[in-house]
Order: sequence, then structure tokens, then C-alpha cells
Amino acid sequence: MLIQQIGNGVFLGAVYALFACGYALVFGVLDILNLAHAAIYMSAAFIALALAGAGVPLLLAIVLAIIAAGLLGILLDRVAFAPLRRRNAGTLAPLISSIGVAIMIQGIARAFFGSDDQPFPSGTFATAQLQIGSLRLGVVDVTVLGVAIAMMLALSSVLRFTSLGRSIRAVAADRIAAALLGIDVERTIALTFFIASALGGAAGVLIGLEFNSVSVDMGARIELKGLAIIVLGGMGSVTGAVVGALLLGCVETLSVAYISSGYRDAISFGVMFLVLVLRPTGLFGRRSLRAA
Amino acid sequence: MYGGSLLRLSLFSSRLGVFTVAAIVAGLSAALASNGALAAGTAVKIGVIADVSGSAAAYGMSQKNAYALATEDLKTGKLDAGTASVTFDVEDSASDPAQVVTLTQAFTNNGAALLVGPTLSAEAKKADPIAVAAGLTILATSNTAQGITSLGPCVFRDSLAEEQVVPETVAKIAGTWKPKTAAIIYGDDNQFTKTDYEIFAKALAEHHITVVDVETYHTGDVDFRAQLTKIAGAKPDLLVVGALVDEAVKIVAQAAAAGVNAHIVGGNGLNSPKFIQLAGRSAEGVVVGAAYYAGDPSPVNAGFVQRYEHDFGIAPDQFAAQAYAAAEVIARLAHDGATSSAAFCSGLKSVHVATVLGPLSFDATHDASAPSDVMIVSKGRFTLLK
Repeated sequence: MLIQQIGNGVFLGAVYALFACGYALVFGVLDILNLAHAAIYMSAAFIALALAGAGVPLLLAIVLAIIAAGLLGILLDRVAFAPLRRRNAGTLAPLISSIGVAIMIQGIARAFFGSDDQPFPSGTFATAQLQIGSLRLGVVDVTVLGVAIAMMLALSSVLRFTSLGRSIRAVAADRIAAALLGIDVERTIALTFFIASALGGAAGVLIGLEFNSVSVDMGARIELKGLAIIVLGGMGSVTGAVVGALLLGCVETLSVAYISSGYRDAISFGVMFLVLVLRPTGLFGRRSLRAA
Repeated sequence: MYGGSLLRLSLFSSRLGVFTVAAIVAGLSAALASNGALAAGTAVKIGVIADVSGSAAAYGMSQKNAYALATEDLKTGKLDAGTASVTFDVEDSASDPAQVVTLTQAFTNNGAALLVGPTLSAEAKKADPIAVAAGLTILATSNTAQGITSLGPCVFRDSLAEEQVVPETVAKIAGTWKPKTAAIIYGDDNQFTKTDYEIFAKALAEHHITVVDVETYHTGDVDFRAQLTKIAGAKPDLLVVGALVDEAVKIVAQAAAAGVNAHIVGGNGLNSPKFIQLAGRSAEGVVVGAAYYAGDPSPVNAGFVQRYEHDFGIAPDQFAAQAYAAAEVIARLAHDGATSSAAFCSGLKSVHVATVLGPLSFDATHDASAPSDVMIVSKGRFTLLK
């Protein structure tokens, strides 16, 4: 049972990680919390659901939904953050602005899709189970884990080895200095939003597939956990977000398996509290994105 | 001359007097007739609070549909309220307890003769005391937790309480499959699902079925794999699910994937066509104890099912049936002259109506006296467990 439960924790943590990476990336670059991230996560899941419902092959629907989420992220930046950035509005105004956009997106989604949980059309994905030793895996679980790992590796490579990654890190370190060095700061920020929102959107699509359920409220269920993960990992650290997410997924699962399901959240957040008492800057400290 | 003129004047006066009296009498008669007509067509406003949106929308929508059908049936005469003009003012509480309280306060002040609802037991425990304090009679149609009718002297419910349905369900399963062990998973932050757990645990103990594992979750959870993997390790014969539809769908879907090979049993929360629609093949074989069986061939029910399917494109669930049964009871009482909250309270104590749920009356504790059914999902439909 232990191996199966660790497997359950890793699957859950991988999706948390995708979601939290987007949060961490935006915070690392702009020093703002984008609370519309959960609304984009939900929107991408609905876009994938609508495309799958229209007969688009699942893999294509996932890719299109992730791209759409990225584009929504750019739109979000243009509408909610760029005007405030131009006016040097500080960090609180963008936070409120992102909450406003999140509420608007939720309202639109509710009007289009209703309030109920909605499953993907039957036959959209294989429900077969694989048995590897004592570990039981669904085909969807493997797909979700594979996509999550691939996207996180891609993010890490982009940040470390590409000129875009260098631009993002430069803007994260000092926006004015980056501009003086000839970096197009606004373009870099827009691309950061694209990547962050695509990651969040991927998490939404994958969790929708994993549990065969998409709803307007699904973002609210993961939002607080995403915030807790980036604090635990170290604000703005993408590596910290991944490690924090996997830790949360495993602690949640193992606390249910070996202590009590009734204390799951209390134990998970208790562990986070202990880590933060020992390392107030989180597991990977502050600003490590800039050195990523 | 004068005499003749006076005589004519006198005759004229007396005729005028007769006409005047006749006119007054006619006027009074007309006025009385008019008053009589007003009395016969007295408006009876029924305040309905239902979770048409939010997490309990699956139930609230069914209730809203049922009142829309009842309104139509009152117009066409399929429901007979006599000369009373019954209207259902359905308000959406959005699965939000604060909104339930606000709506309840509004209904205590706007002339409602009866409050029907709210959808969930937890909401009722907040709202009912407000209506009781204002002297408003309550007819609950979907509150199944313990103690609802003891919240006030005029609180009734036509939904069978879980403590009425669950023991029959467990007795039927014990006789059919003779299970020795069971595991229970339930939501520990919801009054209804907590009640389900307590009543199932008691009923299982009465049939000497050992509970080998108890797991909990929170409303809105989507990942139950950790709990179900643990349950699979305990190898129970039965898996009892105390959940509302959204969570129940995911639990039964993930149970098989987690390796749980047990008969799955649920309470009222699973008794909805939406459960089968969303859970698909995972719902096959799930047993549900319920107050309503849509396949009941009685003419009252068959007509209701046919009209409901025609109007809404889906079979009515228990929540729709219980709401419609409330409308049938209300129509009968209004027909018999009930227009005030006090009259509804006294009428409900003695009413006997043939409803879509079967013969319905209320016992001394104001709970429904009606038959219950044990159903199993087979080929995508609820059928009676034989």
C-alpha cells in the first residue's frame, strides 16, 4: 500500500507543481501575486472540455487549451497588470485587479457552462489500468505525470538555456537595468505571462482529465494550496514550487493513509508551518528564480 | 291639479325610492358577489428556497423544475387547489447558508403562507429557527438529517429521514448478499453526509456487519485515491458512501481504479439520475435506499414522470418528486381553505394525500409516513433491488 500511496501523492503533487510554477514565475518576475491564475486554470479545463465535446482529438484539445490559456495570460497582463505597471501602482493594486479579473472570468464561465460539475464525454480517454508490481496506474495518470514532467523540464530549460530565459531572469533581477541593457521588458513580461498561464492551464486540463470533472469552482479548490506551495518552496522559486508541490501531495496522501483522513489538511499545513518556522524564506529561499 | 301632481310626484318618489332601494340592493349584491369572488380566489403565496446554483444545484434544479411543473398543473387543473390561487415564489439560495438566512427573513415579511425548503439539512438548521420565531409554517422536501422536525412546532417534512430509509436498505443488503465487513467514506463537513455515516454505522452494527475502515473527505474534494487505496487494503464486502452527487460520482469512479472490490451502497445523496449520468459505467451495481422510485406504475406517478420528462428532458429524481408531492399537499390544503400559516400547520397534521411518493401523511413528530424503496443501478437505470 505504501508504494501505491506514494504514487498517489506524486501524481497529485505533479499537478500541484504545474499550477504552482505559474504562480511562482509571475511572482518571481513581477513581485505580484496573480490571483487570476486559478481562473485561467479553470478556463483551460473548460476549453479542453468544449473542444473534446466538439469532437477534437484529446491530445490536440489539450494542446489548444494550453495555448489558449497562455494567450489568456497575455490578455490578463494587458488588461489587469500593464496599465497599473505603467502608473507604478505598487503591489496591492495589481492583486486587487487580478481578483476582479478572476471574478469576471468565473462569471463568464458560469454563464456559458453552468454551475455543475461536468465530465469529459465518455470515450474521450482510455480508462485502462496498468499494474506495475504493487503499483496500479491508470493510462490517464501516466499521461498526466508525463505531460507535467515534460512541461516542467521545458520550463527549466527555457529559463536556463534560452535568450528568453535570460531575459526573464534579467527582468526578474532588475527591470530598469534589463531595459538599459536593451531587453524589451514589456515583451518579456507578456511572454512570462504566456508561459505561467500555459502551465496553469495545463494543470487545469490535466486535473480535469485525471478526475474527469470540470467545474467553475475548481480553481478555488487549488488556489490556496498553490499559494501555500510557493511560500513553502520560497516565493518566486520555480524549483521550490516543484519540490513544495510534491511534498504537499505526498504529505496529504500519507497522512490519509497512516494517520487519519479527517486531519489531512491540518497535518499538511502543520508540516508547512514547521518548515517555515525552520526556514522562514521557504525551502529554496527568495529570488532563486533570478539565479535559476 | 295639485292633488294629481302631488299624487304623481308621490308615485314618482315612491318609484324612485323603490329604484333607489333596488339599486342599493343590487349594488350591495354585486359588491357582496364581488367580495365572494375575491374570497374564493384568495391568493396563497408559497415561499420556496432552493439551491438552484452552487454545490447543491443538482438537487435544487430538480426542485425548481417540480414547482414549475406544479404551477403548470395548477393552471391546467391536474392539481386542484379549488378556487384558491396558489403561487410558488422560488428563490435561489445558491448553496450559500448566508443567502438561505436572508431569503428566510424575507419570506417571514412578505406574506408567504408557508415556507418550503431549504434544500440541505445544514441550511435548514440555520433557517428554520428564523421562520419558527416568525410563526411561519415550514414544509421541508429534502432535509433528511436527524432533528429537523423538532426545530419548531410547525416544521414538517415529506422527505423520508435517513433514519427511516437506511435501516431498510441495510436490512435488504444483509439479506441479499450477507456481507460480513464494511468500510465507510463520508464528508465530515456536511450535516447530511455526517448523518448518513452515523445511521449507516448503527444499522451495520445491528446486522453484525463489522466496520473495518472509516474515511472522511471535505466537500469539494476531487481526489479520493488515498482514502480508497486504504479501503482497498482492508478488503471490505461493502463500501458505504455518505456523499452528495458531485463527490459520490468521483468516489465510485475512483473506487474501482483503486482496487476496491466491494458492493457500493449509498444514501439519498446518490439517488439522482444525475449520479448515473455522470458516473456512467461506474454507477452500475450501486445500491441506493430512497423514498422515491420513478418506475412506480401508479397513475399519479406515471403521469408526473411523463410530464416532467416532456418538460425537462430528464426523468424526475427523488428531489423533484418530493417537491412535487409538497405541491400536491399544498394544493389539497388550499382547496380545503387553508390560506394562512396557522391553517397550513393544522392542516398538515391531519392531511392524507395520494402523491407521486405514494400515500402521504405526517406522523406525530411531523415526519412523513410514506413507503421507501431499495434500488440498484442496472443498465443505466434505477431498478428495484429484488
